Amino acid sequence: MYRLIEFIKRIYVIVLFLLLEGVVLWNYAQSSPYTEAKILSRTTAVGGAISSAISSVEHFFSLPSMNRMLTERVAELNKEVERLSLAEGVGVVEGCDSVQYDPHFKYHPARVVSMTTSRQRNFVVLDRGFEDGITKDMGVVTPDNKLVGYVVSCSEHYSVVQPMLSVEFSTGGRLVDNGHVCVIRWSGESKYLVEAVELSVYSEPKEGMEVEVSSERLPSGVLIGKIVDFELNSAKSAYSAEIEIAADISRLDNVLIVENSHAKELEELKEVVGM
Amino acid sequence: MFRVIPYIMMTIALLFVQIFVLDEVSIALVLRPMIFPLVVLLLPIEWRTVWVLLVALATGVLMDVSLGGAGLYTATLLPIAVMRRWVLYLTTHRSVESGDQTSLFSRMSQRQVMIWVATMLAIHHVMFFALETLSFAKPLHLIATMLLSTLLSALIATPIVQIYCSKIVAK
Repeated sequence: MYRLIEFIKRIYVIVLFLLLEGVVLWNYAQSSPYTEAKILSRTTAVGGAISSAISSVEHFFSLPSMNRMLTERVAELNKEVERLSLAEGVGVVEGCDSVQYDPHFKYHPARVVSMTTSRQRNFVVLDRGFEDGITKDMGVVTPDNKLVGYVVSCSEHYSVVQPMLSVEFSTGGRLVDNGHVCVIRWSGESKYLVEAVELSVYSEPKEGMEVEVSSERLPSGVLIGKIVDFELNSAKSAYSAEIEIAADISRLDNVLIVENSHAKELEELKEVVGM
Repeated sequence: MFRVIPYIMMTIALLFVQIFVLDEVSIALVLRPMIFPLVVLLLPIEWRTVWVLLVALATGVLMDVSLGGAGLYTATLLPIAVMRRWVLYLTTHRSVESGDQTSLFSRMSQRQVMIWVATMLAIHHVMFFALETLSFAKPLHLIATMLLSTLLSALIATPIVQIYCSKIVAK
């Protein structure tokens, strides 16, 4: 007890100083949008750098399984290259750090620096930012073409992704078998399920049916998951379905950020027609 | 022995000059002297840090309320309160010994006191302008502001420190 009192006597000044300094700095940071933005940017950069260092260690230990998955993906891509090169007048261009599968879409590899999956509003931080050509609203997929989410914010070297596991997440979906569209949302209840709503009564959903993304931000073929349950609403006007998420979001390591080179043109067109 | 009333009068005068004169007069963009840290610096070195910290807090809050600093002045004064003794030892190799009967300021030479005051003012000005700008987009301008403002503050502080050491601190 005596030693505890002595210890507190030695450190209480520093603790008091840190407490007071923290309070005034917080107050100063909140005092204007400029300071708020500047300090947020600096802390994001510092936090990102620390998380990046920690995730490097984790990444090292996940290399064997990642290599296996990438090898399988390379094999699929090689088949795709072969198929396209045989098709008349179509070519595929390879860049240093991105591969164009489709003339309009470019893929930027990125690594997950930090993420949350236990909150209602989860996020994923990637180690690519403005300097790498990343902008808001770009889609993010796993290397085997499964949906992760969309970029919601960028700094110079990092970007924040809103994954499917966020109550604010929403995207268009489409049944692979028959092309019927729906809206994909997360209810916040299960880390493994999202819900498809506003699915047409004519869509005849079945368990096991695959659902892919329907969005101009991503190419066709990006898988969301498989239907595990469905029901007709009380008005019998639409189905809602539960979809088992294809991507293992809690074990994300390497992802691809998808850039649509026609995104700006599409935005301008939407503004013209008032969408 | 530390004379409280003259110290309080000096504090009021310092803050008055800072708030109503130095902050109102615009000499140049890179010249922004600040002498209010002297309120904390010239407290007796023998005082316990917690009391110096509280004086720094009160002074900082007063400056923030008067000048709309939103915590900036307080955030830069609190580290000064904590670092005083450590910087004094680094610059002059003087420290408070238990059993000292007279004030350390009265036993130090003017030169030693000014070196210490100038160093503390420099540290304060670096922290202040760095926190105020929160950007290193114009590093030369920032460094020039820090250097020139420190020089001018030290120049204005010199007679104040001389008067303090000769009149307020009893030998």
